[in-house]
Amino acid sequence: MNIVVCVKYVPDAQADRTFSQDNTTDRTNVDGLLSELDEYAVEEALKLAEAGEGEVTVVTVGPDGAAEAIKKALQMGADKGVHVLDDAIHGSDAPATSLVLAEAVKKAAGGSPELVLMGLASTDGTMSVVPAMLAERLGLPQITQLSSLEIADGKVTGRRDSDAASDTLEAPLPAVVSVTDQINEPRYPSFKGIMAAKKKPVETWSLADLGVDAGQVGLESAWTKVESFTARPPREQGEIVTDEGDGGTKLAEFLAKAKLI
Amino acid sequence: MADQIPFTETEERQALRKSVAAFASKYGEDYWLEQARAGKKTDELWADAGKQGFLGVAVPEEYGGGGGGIGDLAAVCEELSAAGCPLLLMVVSPAICGTIIASYGTDEQKQRWLPGFADGTRKMAFAITEPDAGSNSHNITTTATRTDDGWTLNGGKVYISGVDEVSDVLVVGRVESAKTGKLRPALFVVPTDAEGFSYNQIEMGIVGPEKQFVVHIDNVKLPADALVGSEDAGIDQLFAGLNPERIMAASSATGMARRALEKATSYAKEREVWGVPIGQHQAVAHPLAQSYVEINMARLMTQRAAALYEAGEYLLAGESANMAKYAAAEAACTTVDRAVQVHGGNGLADEYGLVHMVGASRLTRIAPVSREMALNFVAQFSLGLPKSY
Repeated sequence: MNIVVCVKYVPDAQADRTFSQDNTTDRTNVDGLLSELDEYAVEEALKLAEAGEGEVTVVTVGPDGAAEAIKKALQMGADKGVHVLDDAIHGSDAPATSLVLAEAVKKAAGGSPELVLMGLASTDGTMSVVPAMLAERLGLPQITQLSSLEIADGKVTGRRDSDAASDTLEAPLPAVVSVTDQINEPRYPSFKGIMAAKKKPVETWSLADLGVDAGQVGLESAWTKVESFTARPPREQGEIVTDEGDGGTKLAEFLAKAKLI
Repeated sequence: MADQIPFTETEERQALRKSVAAFASKYGEDYWLEQARAGKKTDELWADAGKQGFLGVAVPEEYGGGGGGIGDLAAVCEELSAAGCPLLLMVVSPAICGTIIASYGTDEQKQRWLPGFADGTRKMAFAITEPDAGSNSHNITTTATRTDDGWTLNGGKVYISGVDEVSDVLVVGRVESAKTGKLRPALFVVPTDAEGFSYNQIEMGIVGPEKQFVVHIDNVKLPADALVGSEDAGIDQLFAGLNPERIMAASSATGMARRALEKATSYAKEREVWGVPIGQHQAVAHPLAQSYVEINMARLMTQRAAALYEAGEYLLAGESANMAKYAAAEAACTTVDRAVQVHGGNGLADEYGLVHMVGASRLTRIAPVSREMALNFVAQFSLGLPKSY
């Protein structure tokens, strides 16, 4: 099975993330990496490919640094990478990203892919909508947020967990599937994987290579606009109750004041 | 070759460091200390690291290893140590034994041992130190005599790490040269369950999962192929194994020093007295800055030693490995001491994870080669001063 995994290069969530002057994510002052939630999609693709015949292609849309995200996936074991790199893409929203991804996935798969895997959400935008948009653009069934996945008899089956219940979902292949961080434990790149990644092919495509009009993407074409932003206020210090024999009463008063009891 | 070695590590080695650091954070100091304090081993960590191929990075690819060099293995060692979960037997099993067998073993010996070093399923201890000879291979008294079908080994060793958790020990003994009749060093693989082979644990005041042993070797019968490679290559084999040992020991020490410095630095940023973080005072800041300098100098020398070794520049590598070992141990001792001081009383509380490093850092000044022997090497070979012993 030939699997395409769409991944995103994001600013390190451990660092102090901020915005650039045009109110887009600042990617220059913070180290970037392969979105951690996408590692689960890469791992699942590798497991499927290892269990049978198949090839894993990693596709990303992003700036120069996004090559790092592809490299990490190749070090984990993916076979080849595609980097869609074009200055006109800067500032694209989710609909535009899904448009570029759809064309990149089709071209990477030589028509229609057998399976497209994605993470739960990016760790920067955290919108979780691109898998659904991509499925729509490709005209494929979508099953999102799976915490288990099986391929058999030309179908993909999986479980989607929610607080109250779990659904078992099924779709004919080809399909677009997104997976959660419960589905597996992503591997660490082994030394052999790191050395092998050096020799794996990575293609870099522009919008023109994909036949996408630059006017359909980018900051100016985005459906939404970030007008301004403020930093999250620092957490205020909580109330400290000193127990002088009446700690229980004071605690009860505090909870009652907050209407918790 | 030697003058072309760059001052930064390759992209691949940096990626290896990142991967090992992420892997090690799954275990970390809490796991390591818990196992050590309960008298248990860190077998899960060893097996897992082996499965990831981290323990076998330097084993040749044809035997299932990563095909990298001692610098790659040292990077793994340093990152595990920096994460608070060092694996002492990495210094011995893949670095010394693995290197010696890969370099000097017969094809059959390589086939037998190297795949196990590649995936970590084989652990081998290394026994050189003797009560009356220290690590001076010329005074070793453990002796092998030829028999009709192999060897008989007699002698004793002391301060041998991990004998209780290995299948075999690579023992440095002496054998009478067939040509000259003189006794020369030779290396033998001795199974720990061989008749006449016994060991007793030395009680140490150091916290660690790996234990130290006195080893008794009484009339141990060995097959002919227990001798690694040829009996004429003993000295070369020793140096093939001992330089990697020093590079690994230096890496483990700088890893520990990095960890201690990180703890001290974050404590100095957070701990406030009289309204400012203590790190704002130069009396606290400067020693930590000094440690940063010392650690990085030691790391640079360690990487240089590894690069020279990988380039086949063994003489230069030997000098660098001794300097790296010296510098790394000094950096580890001083940094741990400074980190404890920055923490005040907390530095000696279990909770802050520093007090166990006091003994461990002190050990780096002694083993695998003492500070004094490293300085003797530099005095004699680098400065041309008269030999002192």
